[in-house]
Amino acid sequence: MSGAADMNRNRALDWALVAYIVLAYAFVFAPIAASFVFSFNSDRFPSIPLGEFSLDWYRAIATDPLVWEGARNTLMVGVIVGVVSTLLGFGAAYTDYRYKFAGKQVYLALALLPPTIPVIILGLAMLAYLSRVNLSGNALSVIISHVVVCAPFAMAIIRLRLSQMDPALEPAAWNLGASEWMAMRHVIVPFCAPAILGALFITMAVSFDEFAVAWFVSGLNETLPVKVLGFLQGQVSPRINAIGTFVFILSMTLVILAQLLLSGRGAKSAERE
Amino acid sequence: MRRPISLYGLTFSLPLLIWQVLFFVFPLVFLVALSFWTVKNFVMRPDFDTVNWTTMYGRTVFWQAYGTTLALAAAASVLTSVLAFPAAYAVAFKLSDTSRRWAVFLMVIPFFTSYLVRVYSWQTFLSDNGIINVILSWIGLGPFVMLNTVGATMIGYLTLSFPLVVLLQLFSLVFIDRTLIEAAHNMRCGRLRTVFEVVIPSARTGLVIAALFCFILSFGDFVSPVYLGGGEPTTLSILITDTTKSGQQWPRAAVIALTMIGTLMVVAFVAVKFAYKGKSK
Amino acid sequence: MSRDTLVSFEGVVKSFGNFVAVQRLDFEIKKGEFLAIMGSSGCGKTTTLRMLAGLEAPTEGVIRLSGKPINDLPTWSRDTPMVWQSLALFPFLNVRENVEFALKMRGVGKAERRRRAEQWLDRMQITEFAERNISQLSGGQRQRVALARSLVVEPEILLLDEPLSALDAALKVRMQSVLKNLQRETGITFVYVTHSQSEAFSMADRVVIMSRGNIEQIGTPQEIYRTPKTRFVADFLGSSNVFTGTLQRGSAGSGIEISTSVGRFDLDLPNNSNPLGQSATLTVLDTKTQLSHTRPAGANAVPVRMIGEEFVGATATIYLETSDGQEMRVQKGHQELAELDLEIGQSLFAWWRKEDGHLIASS
Repeated sequence: MSGAADMNRNRALDWALVAYIVLAYAFVFAPIAASFVFSFNSDRFPSIPLGEFSLDWYRAIATDPLVWEGARNTLMVGVIVGVVSTLLGFGAAYTDYRYKFAGKQVYLALALLPPTIPVIILGLAMLAYLSRVNLSGNALSVIISHVVVCAPFAMAIIRLRLSQMDPALEPAAWNLGASEWMAMRHVIVPFCAPAILGALFITMAVSFDEFAVAWFVSGLNETLPVKVLGFLQGQVSPRINAIGTFVFILSMTLVILAQLLLSGRGAKSAERE
Repeated sequence: MRRPISLYGLTFSLPLLIWQVLFFVFPLVFLVALSFWTVKNFVMRPDFDTVNWTTMYGRTVFWQAYGTTLALAAAASVLTSVLAFPAAYAVAFKLSDTSRRWAVFLMVIPFFTSYLVRVYSWQTFLSDNGIINVILSWIGLGPFVMLNTVGATMIGYLTLSFPLVVLLQLFSLVFIDRTLIEAAHNMRCGRLRTVFEVVIPSARTGLVIAALFCFILSFGDFVSPVYLGGGEPTTLSILITDTTKSGQQWPRAAVIALTMIGTLMVVAFVAVKFAYKGKSK
Repeated sequence: MSRDTLVSFEGVVKSFGNFVAVQRLDFEIKKGEFLAIMGSSGCGKTTTLRMLAGLEAPTEGVIRLSGKPINDLPTWSRDTPMVWQSLALFPFLNVRENVEFALKMRGVGKAERRRRAEQWLDRMQITEFAERNISQLSGGQRQRVALARSLVVEPEILLLDEPLSALDAALKVRMQSVLKNLQRETGITFVYVTHSQSEAFSMADRVVIMSRGNIEQIGTPQEIYRTPKTRFVADFLGSSNVFTGTLQRGSAGSGIEISTSVGRFDLDLPNNSNPLGQSATLTVLDTKTQLSHTRPAGANAVPVRMIGEEFVGATATIYLETSDGQEMRVQKGHQELAELDLEIGQSLFAWWRKEDGHLIASS
C-alpha cells in the first residue's frame, strides 16, 4: 500500500496485524468449515479424528419425505418472499429517492426498522397477531413475516443504486415528452435492473435463513430451517450439517449471482455513461 | 417545486407502508394489548388487567433473567467490539484495495449461512469429546468442560455478531480522512497513540453503532444461551419460550417481550446520542 | 553547506512504482527564509514537501535537517510541522484542543499547555472561538486554527501545502499578509508549496519552480520574473513575450543578434558566452514591450496586428498577433492607451529596447 512512508511503518507490527486478520477469519469460518466437513463424515457424534467419508447424512435427508416437503416449502416461500419484498422495497426506495413529505422519517423508520427487532419478539408478536386474524399456521403466515424482515434489505440495495443515478435523468426524460409512467418504465427500471435482481436473490437467501420467526409462525408447513431447529431440539444429528451445507450452497449461489449483477452490470453501465 | 399527491406516487409508496403497518406495527401494538389479557384454564381472554405486569415484575426469576441478559449482552458488545477492532483496523489500513474487497466479501458470507447450523457446529468443537478437547489431550491437557457454560454462550454471541461488527467498524474506519492520521503523526503522535487519539475518536459513530447492533442481537438471541449455554443461566429469551410453552401464558410472554423492547429502545437512544455527541448536523 | 543552511536535499529521488515523481533534487533551504515551491499539479512539489515532513521516504538521496540526515526518522520524531491543504483539523476536538494537541503529544503539562495555546489563540485572533467545534468556523478562522496548531510548538521550520487554496480571492490576499508578517516576526523558516504565482511571488524570499519532478529555477521573485532561466519558466509565468531563433553576429558587424521568423533582434550581451549558430530563446516582459504606429528607429520592432484587449484594474492587456500567427501581449496604463488610440484589427509595431530583452540559452 502506498501513502505511508517506510520509516513510519513497523514491519513486525504489520505482520502481527495481518496474522490477527487470519485468526479472526479462522474463527468466523471454523464452524462453517466444520459443518461442511462433518456432513461427509460417518460418525454419529462428530469429532476428530475423522471417521470414514460417507454420504449417509445426505442419503438420510434425501430419503426423508419431511425434509423434501420442507425443502419445497422453503423454495416456494423463498421465491414468493423474494418477489414481494423486492417489489415493496423498490417502491419504498423510489419514494425516498423522489419525494419529500411530512412524516418521511416515520415512513423510513417503518421501512428499515424491522430487522433490528429481535426475532424472538417479532416471532411472538407475529404468531399472536396472525393467529388472531386467522392467518397463522400456514405458508402464507411465513411469507408475510419474512417479507416484513426482507423488504428493508431490498429497499436498502435498490436505494443505493438510485443514489448513483444522475438526478437529472428522470426530469430529462419528462422534458423529452415521457410521462411519469414511461420514464419509470424506460429510465428508472432499466437503470435499477441489476439492483432489482440483486435484491431479489439476496432477499431469497435471507428468507432461506430466517428460522426463528418461522418457528413461531408456521405450524405444519415447516421450512428447512424450522426442520433444523426440530433436529436440535430433539436428538442432535449430523443431518443438520448436511442440510446446512445444502442450504449454504444454495444461498451462496444466489449471493454470488447477486454480486455479479450488482458489480458487473453496474460497472458496465457506468462505463457506457 | 411541490407536487400534489398523485396516483403515480402512491402506487410506489403505499404498498410497503400498508404492509409494514398491517404486519409490523399492528402485531407490536397487539402485543401491548395482549399483555393486559387474562388466561383462565389455558384459554386466553381479551381483558384489561395489569395482573400479568404485576405478576412478572413481582418475580425474582424475571429480574434475575433481566440482569443476566443485560450483563451478557453488555459483555458481548464490549468483547466483540474489542476483538473485532484490531481485525477491522488491519483490514482498513494494512491491506491493499484488492485484498480489502476480498476481506469484505468473505465477511459477508456468514450472513448467508444458518446461524443455527454454525451454533450446532460449535457444539462439535466445544463438547467433552469435541475437537478442542481432543487436540488438548494430544498435549496432555484437559478435558475441560466448555459446552453449557457462559463462555460457550459468549462464543455463540461472537458467532452471531462478530462479522457484522467487523464490517460496521471497517466502514467507519475506511472513511477516516487519512490526512488526520498524517497530521497526528506529524505532531509527534506515535502509532499506538494515534489509534486512541485520532482513529477511535474519528470512527466513534461507527464503533458505537456496531456495539449497539451487537447488543441488540445478543440481547434478543435465544439460540446461543440454549444450545451452547445449556439454558443456564436463564435469559429473557429463554424465559419467553418457557412462558409460552407453559399453560398458554402468552400475555406474560408479551410482558417480557415489551420490557425487552423498552430496554432496547433506551439503550439504542443512549447509544445513538453518544455516537453523535458533539456533531452538528 | 553554509552555516545558515537549515535543510538540504542531496540527490533526492522519489518514485512510486514506475512513476518518478521527483527526478533529482539538489537544493538548500536557508534558516529563516520564506521559500515557495511552485509548479503545476503533478510537478513533484507536494511530494518534495512530504518527504521533508517524513510522510514519504525518498527512494534515493539524503535529506538533512540542521546538518543531520533525517531519511530514517519517522515523521513523529522530526520537528517538521505541516499545514495541510485540507488543513486536517481534528473534527472531534474543539479549537483549543486542536491547538493543544502537539503539546499534549510532547507531554507538556495541562496548565502549561493551556497557557501556550492561549498565547497562540490570541496571536491568531481566535481566542473567542476557543471552545467551538471546527465545523462551526469559517474558512479563514480554520486557517488560523491550523496555523496556531502547527506553530504552538514554536518549531524551526513550518511546511505549508497550498493552505490557501480553499479560500475566496479577498480572504486569500488577507491571509497572505498574515502569513508573511507571521514569518517575519517569528523568524521561522516557511516552506510554502503552491501552484499560484501571485501567492509565491508576493510572500516568498526565494521561489523554487518545479516541472515534471525537476527544479527549473531557484531565485528571488525578481530574478525569476526578470531573467527566467528556461523557456518553461518564461511560459509558466506567462508575463513575457517569447521568441525562438538562432544566435548570430550582428548585421552591423558588432554585437550579437537573434534571428527569428519575425525578424532579427539586437541583444545586449557584452560578454556573450553562448556559441553562435545555436538556437536560443529571447524573452521580453510584457510591461517592457511598447507599441507605436510607425516603426521606431534604433529599437527591436515586430510588425503586429491588434486582436483584442482586456481591462483589469488600472492596466490593460493588449493582445497582438505577429505575421506568423504568434501571440504577443503588451501591458499598458489607461492614460498611455488613450494616447495611442487603438482599434482592433489595426496594424502596429511592437518594440523594445535591446537592454530589455533577456536571452535564455538553449539547453
